[in-house]
Order: sequence, then structure tokens, then C-alpha cells
Amino acid sequence: MEQTDKRGYRGDFPVTDDDVDATFKKEIASLVGGEGLLRCLKCGACSGGCPVGSVIDYRPRKVLGNVLLGLKDEVLSSDQIWMCAACFTCEERCVQQVNFTDVVTVLRNIASREGNAAPGYIKMAEMVRKNGRVSARTGQVDRMREELGLPPLQDPDIETLQRIMTQAGLDAVIAANTKEEKSE
Amino acid sequence: MRKAIAWGCLVPMRRSLLGYEASTRKVLEHLGVQTTDIPNETCCAPFWMQSLDLTTSLAMAARNLAKAEAMGMDLLTPCSGCFHSYKRVNHVMENYPEMRERIDEILRSVRLHYEGTVEPRHLVDFLHKDIGPDKLQQKATRDLSGISIGLRYGCHMLKPHELLNIEYSERPIFADELLEQFGVNSVQYGGRHRCCGGLLRGVQDDIADRILHERLVDVNEQGVDGIVTVCSLCHMQHDMGQRGIKRKFGMDDLELPVLHYPQLLALGFGYKPEELGLDLHTMKTDKIVAKIMGGGKR
Repeated sequence: MEQTDKRGYRGDFPVTDDDVDATFKKEIASLVGGEGLLRCLKCGACSGGCPVGSVIDYRPRKVLGNVLLGLKDEVLSSDQIWMCAACFTCEERCVQQVNFTDVVTVLRNIASREGNAAPGYIKMAEMVRKNGRVSARTGQVDRMREELGLPPLQDPDIETLQRIMTQAGLDAVIAANTKEEKSE
Repeated sequence: MRKAIAWGCLVPMRRSLLGYEASTRKVLEHLGVQTTDIPNETCCAPFWMQSLDLTTSLAMAARNLAKAEAMGMDLLTPCSGCFHSYKRVNHVMENYPEMRERIDEILRSVRLHYEGTVEPRHLVDFLHKDIGPDKLQQKATRDLSGISIGLRYGCHMLKPHELLNIEYSERPIFADELLEQFGVNSVQYGGRHRCCGGLLRGVQDDIADRILHERLVDVNEQGVDGIVTVCSLCHMQHDMGQRGIKRKFGMDDLELPVLHYPQLLALGFGYKPEELGLDLHTMKTDKIVAKIMGGGKR
């Protein structure tokens, strides 16, 4: 089948000037956790230890290369930044302290604000916003806790949590991503 | 000194993880460690939440740290995800003054303050460093030398070691050392320290399955009596996820019980299996429990 979607399949298409934003890497490097990016030598130690790379064709080095080249739109709108399992093995092994996992967090934060967050994580965030925890409390769990001799479950401080989420910007991220869903 | 415990979202709420809380409470009580639950604890905003918005996540985690600080206690947690989040807050506050200001400002709006003085500790590291293998051995009443297990350190208790400061993650031994005090044979095997794919669950399910499949093949080849985990996500993957892997990859002989680390310690201290929630796991623990109960006293 002919591959017509450029996103995530860069190898099939040549890069042209139109695809490149030369300031992208500097933007990423200026944000918390992104400063290691410019130290990358593209040695590939990150790809070598990547657990995702051992089951599918996924290479952190390639993602870093795309960012350093300035393929902003492609990186921010594709799955490549949402495939990292956050095991931090690459970060542990990187001789240049690029901290790929932290760079991915910076990229994901920007993508999320633009409405390109992983839908699964948005669902979990909505769950936390509603319940204070990532799971909903059920009568069954309460009974099992009692039978096991555990103290009753505390009610999480949802009010404070929701105010933090609004104040800090997560509500805006959730809104940006749920709007997108409706318009599709 | 009394510790403030953060249980996290999953441990007190999920059927198969209730035994993690029960056994942690038993082990700490047995060792004379006094604890207080963090009042009205909320989500620690772990890595998946950091992915959506780092600032929000740090402020959310700082809420629980502020509560521990107000009680004058360091924070102890059995959940590796929580541990990682809380360490991250301290690290960012120390190294990024602008972010610190922003977190201060957000917390002020909910009448909280976090100065940054709380030391977050992972349960297993605490047991090793502060309690020590010798004390565990003295307190052991049940001989576990008949059983062999595949221990998983998981990712978020150790990596990256510059942030978490426990032990270099490539060849850790401290958690094995504690189990050895009870005579447990903790088997070395390929993939022991590799990721279980837990954080991709619900986002990239096929990749999460394939990674978990690799882990289960690795450990199953060793002929162990069970797997032991120190992380909520590792447990959910290996225990709840195992049936799915069995079907998807046709692993007919796969039937591995997955124990929480302190469950094994509590069994070694003489606690009964039914006090430790071992019957609440997805994968049946009958066989390993029978083998342990059939072993001798020491």
C-alpha cells in the first residue's frame, strides 16, 4: 500500500525547506527538561536500550534527529512522541545527559496544548479531576478493604486538586483535547 | 521516626493491589515503624500526567508533600510511580527557580506551602537502608528457602539513578539481599531489569502487550515459582495482563503468580496468607502459597 501520510514515516519522504523550523530545537532546549537536547551526538545508545524499540520499529535517536533537524509539525502531531514507555533506560545510559524522556515530556506538553495529546491519558486526567484518584471508588473495594482489616478509604481532597488543575493549566489542556474530539 | 505514607491511587483501590497495602502495613508494624497516612491524599500526577502538563503535575504532587511537611515527617510510599513523582518535585524545585516560584504561586492559591524539606522514600529502599538485612533476618520466623522467584525492580524505583539516588539501575542487588534473609532464591535472568510496558497501557495497548510478552517469556523460562514486584504498574501488567498475553501469544503453559514484595516478607515474618490479600490477585497464588506454608519454621 502506498504511504501517503508523512507523519511518522519520514524515511519515505525527502525533507524540504518547508518542513523545517530551525528555531524548534532552541525552543525545546529553553524549557524545563529540554536543555539536554543540544548535547545529543546521535550515538544511538538510547535506541539500543529502548524496550519499545525491541518490539516495534521505534528509535529514540530518530525522534531526537527529527527535533534537531526542526521537523516541528511532524514531531508534534505524530505518534512518535507518544510511544515512549518512560522506563528511563535511555536517560540512564546516555553519556551526553540528553535525557530523552525529559525531552519527550517537553514535546508532549506542547503537543497537548495544541490538542494532540494521547486520548488515553486525557481520559485518565478527567478521571483524576473527577475522583481525586485515577480509579473510581466502588462499594466492592470498600467491602474488600473491610474484610482485609484495612482502614476505611480516605476521601481525597478533590476541591484543592481541582483548583490546582485549573490554576496550573491542566484544565486548558483537557479542553483543547476534548474540543478536538467533538469537531472530528 | 514516624513516616507519612502516600499509598497512591491504585494501591488502596484495586482488588489485586489491596494486598500491597495490607502487607506493607503488616511489615512496617512488625518492624516497629510508625506511620501516618497523608490526610486526604490526592493523585501524585505521575509520568503520564507530566506528559500532559509538567507544571500541573508538580503542583499536584507538591500538595501531598506539603501535607507531609506540615506533619514534620518524611514521606514513604510503596508505589514506584509516586516515589518518582515526589523526587521529581524536589529536583525541579532545587534546580529551576522559576518553576519553584510558579509552584509556590499555585500552592498559595489553595493556601498551601511546600518548602522542599520532605525526603521521599521508596518502601524497599527504606527497608534496606534504614532497617537493614540483619534485622529482617532476626525477625524471620518462616523458612522460605524452598522457593525461587523472579524479582522485578521495575523502572521508576531506580531510573534515572541521578534523580532517585538508590542504586545504579543496571545491576541492582539490594532488594534481592533482603529476600535472601528468608532463604528465598532470587533468580537472575535476562530482561529482569527491563520495562514491562505499563505506562503504554490504555495508550498503545499493542506495544504494551508485546513488551509484557517479552518479560513473561524471559521469566517463565526460568521455571520459577512466581514473580515478585515492587511497583503498582508492574503488578497490574504481570498479574492482570497475564491472561491476555496467554491468549494473544498462545502461551498455554503460562501460569505465574505475581506477589507484591512485602507480601513475601510478611509471609517470612509468619503472617497468614489470608491477612495479606493473596487471594485477591488475578493469577492464582495457591501453589506458591502452599509451597511456602509447607516449608519449615526457622
